[in-house]
Amino acid sequence: MSGQHIHAEPTNFFRKHVFSVDHKVIAKQFLWFGLIWLGIGGVMAMMIRWQLANPGEPVPVIGSMLFPRTNGVLDPATYNTLFTMHGTIMIFLGLTPLMIGAIGNWSIPLMIGARDMIFPLLNCLSFWAMFLGGAVGFISLFVPLGATEAGWTGYPTLSTTINGVGSGETLWAIAVFLIGASSIMGGINYMTTVIRLRAPGMTWQRLPLTVWGIFLTSVLNVLFVPVIGSAMLLLIMDRVFGTTFFIPASIMQGAGGGDPILYQHLFWIFGHPEVYILILPAWGIIGDLLSFFSRKPAFGYRAQVGAMVAVTLLSAVVYGHHMFTTGLSAMLGESFMLLTMIISVPAEILFFNWLHTLWKGNLRLTTPMLFSMGVIFVFGLGGLTGIYLATIGTDIFLHDTYFVVGHFHLTMAASALFATFAGIYFWFPKMFAREMNEFLGKTHFWFTVIPLVTVFCLMFVMGYAGMPRRYYDHTSAEYLRSLQHLNKYATHAAFLLGAAQLVFVYNFIRSRWWGKPASQNPWEVGTLDWTMETPVPHYNFKEIPEVFTGPHEFSNPDIPDGKDWISMTEKLKA
Amino acid sequence: MNRINSLLAGVLSSRWMKALAVVGMAGVAEAQGGNRWAPFPPASDFGHRFSELFWLITILCSISMVIVVLLLLIPLLRDRARPGHKANYDHGSSLHDKRLTAVISLATFIVLDAWVLAIAMKDLREAYWNMPEVDQAETYPIEVLGQQWAWHFRGPGLDGEFGTPDDILEMNQLTIPKGRPVSFQMTSKDVIHSLFLPEMRTKKDVNPGSINKTWFKPIEAGEFTILCAELCGYAHYQMFGNLTVMEQEDFDEWEESASLLGIAAYDPEDEEAQWAWEWEE
Repeated sequence: MSGQHIHAEPTNFFRKHVFSVDHKVIAKQFLWFGLIWLGIGGVMAMMIRWQLANPGEPVPVIGSMLFPRTNGVLDPATYNTLFTMHGTIMIFLGLTPLMIGAIGNWSIPLMIGARDMIFPLLNCLSFWAMFLGGAVGFISLFVPLGATEAGWTGYPTLSTTINGVGSGETLWAIAVFLIGASSIMGGINYMTTVIRLRAPGMTWQRLPLTVWGIFLTSVLNVLFVPVIGSAMLLLIMDRVFGTTFFIPASIMQGAGGGDPILYQHLFWIFGHPEVYILILPAWGIIGDLLSFFSRKPAFGYRAQVGAMVAVTLLSAVVYGHHMFTTGLSAMLGESFMLLTMIISVPAEILFFNWLHTLWKGNLRLTTPMLFSMGVIFVFGLGGLTGIYLATIGTDIFLHDTYFVVGHFHLTMAASALFATFAGIYFWFPKMFAREMNEFLGKTHFWFTVIPLVTVFCLMFVMGYAGMPRRYYDHTSAEYLRSLQHLNKYATHAAFLLGAAQLVFVYNFIRSRWWGKPASQNPWEVGTLDWTMETPVPHYNFKEIPEVFTGPHEFSNPDIPDGKDWISMTEKLKA
Repeated sequence: MNRINSLLAGVLSSRWMKALAVVGMAGVAEAQGGNRWAPFPPASDFGHRFSELFWLITILCSISMVIVVLLLLIPLLRDRARPGHKANYDHGSSLHDKRLTAVISLATFIVLDAWVLAIAMKDLREAYWNMPEVDQAETYPIEVLGQQWAWHFRGPGLDGEFGTPDDILEMNQLTIPKGRPVSFQMTSKDVIHSLFLPEMRTKKDVNPGSINKTWFKPIEAGEFTILCAELCGYAHYQMFGNLTVMEQEDFDEWEESASLLGIAAYDPEDEEAQWAWEWEE
């Protein structure tokens, strides 16, 4: 579009680095914000694992500092807070800002050839709304009468004042609401930008798969985040203003007459699309990166896009599989089971095409490539174990056991995290004009993937053996004592996994300031972001580029000068 | 359809499926000095269905995963970048590729999902959702009240009616007869709980404000486990109990004495103990 203005670069520190409207600065803000929260959520996970393997023993090193009242021992209330906040933080304050906020903000304008997002101010507002949400969430940990303890799902009536009298739960709901507002703002912005600001020649069928993934995620964000927003508002009203939307008459001495199951419907109407909100960008990113580093076109580009669109649509009609044991009617249960299983068709199309992209390629096993292939592996494990949970016959036993924990960590957590790491390693040279260390990157990959798969596959065994989730101590019930050895193994692997992330932190910090200066196009790919100079100039493109070829024209025999790649702005030989 | 069903039933009851389930469940347990890797064997009449379906899915998923890993490993070893090596220029957009995509996805769906779906539907109709008729004399009804953090159970006692002085009240302990369908109606006093009976292979949420139903038929006498599977607050992890399944003769004896004890201990002033409801048909 011709009407993209170029404003002068702000010189004021606040306008340039804090309340910036530049998508590149906002992307970096989201990146740092997300990484810090990822670290906090990760430390919480380590404490949870410590408690499970060594129930009632003081947490080493940080325990006495964080919990002086109990000499470093986690009490059940703190434990409940930890897994509640671990989930909330990892989903809303870790992966969402990293994948959608940072990678989305960075890649959309640069990849489609735009000077900025279409609503730069809304973009700035989106970050600061999330920042505020994070701040409220953080404060909620320290209020009198206790932080949230109702799980990241916050089911009433546990999350109403019947159980949690402290303001922590209310602040948690406010935090989720604010973060939701941020996601909606971002979603509207991303959708409009992709629809309106694509460079001439950047047709929908030339759009990089990364942009497709983030675009479809934005659609889901805009459609479904308002539903959890409404659930949170109703919950806040029940807690603060004495309404009874989710509180039945029987436990209110006859007054009111709400329904706790209503909340579960509202939560999962959002909650299931949320899984795809996190996984669609991951699919998009690896769809691109597998092609880039195989030096081969993305196999079945249109089939991949079609499959992602199909998943976007299907994600709206499968949420009931989270509620098979709540007493859903037989007809609803069976319908949700069938619909859930249908999702495996687009998923199989994606697997088929990813694996075919690698086949007979010329594989450059860089760190982003390793993480992309890692996504195929962990998502394969996670996706296949979804069949057990979609099938009511097996879900009745496995529901709310560690089987579920292993399943969703492999799908939405590990797959999304791996794609995020792939994206960070991939775009880092353009973002910070320096290269990350490849040796450390590969070390990080191998020391992440092996313990990670160990931890979550052990959880499948625990769940199969009947271990319920969200237990403070598995040694109190006789039935579970004979499973405690599995908890020990899982904790050892989890600590190794946690330690491996220090390699990433070191590599990231060192490369950010002292890394080798990056060339313009170190990966030799043709998308628009890599054709511009490094560091990216203010307002990206002086001239809006014109696009002539697709993003994945690798090893095309018609590439002019004997390279195996071509910039999207160049023409193939006639 | 019937023929397919009988075929499926044939495969599931075949010797190798059973053997596999036994290996899976017997669970290496004893050999490992009390450490187990599998659930205890099922003690309800539909309990074996879980293990059979579980291991069927496991076989199908393992085959799929092996294929995925092979398709990752072969290019990883064979197609690494090296001087003089070129990638195959292929967009995978030919009609042949599209057909292949469609055929493989649909075939996987049929083998992986449709098969499992058919068995699951059969299991649901025949077992999990096939609630016993309550007016049948042999069905034993139980009312359950969950609270933070205890399980309350109410048996109808000798008169077979709930809400009468001879009701049998138990806490964190449930006693039922072997070989008869046991029918549960459940609600909660405060937050959502979930009645999880791992050896019976069943689980159902216990919601405040409404009555949820479930059932099973115990086929082994002995002591079993009751757990809470839905996060219910501070002492969620301590909300467990004991399930005793008695032979019919022992149960009759126990029921009579427990019911008489109930009458002796009955206190109409004790409001906490009056939580029974009329059994819903």
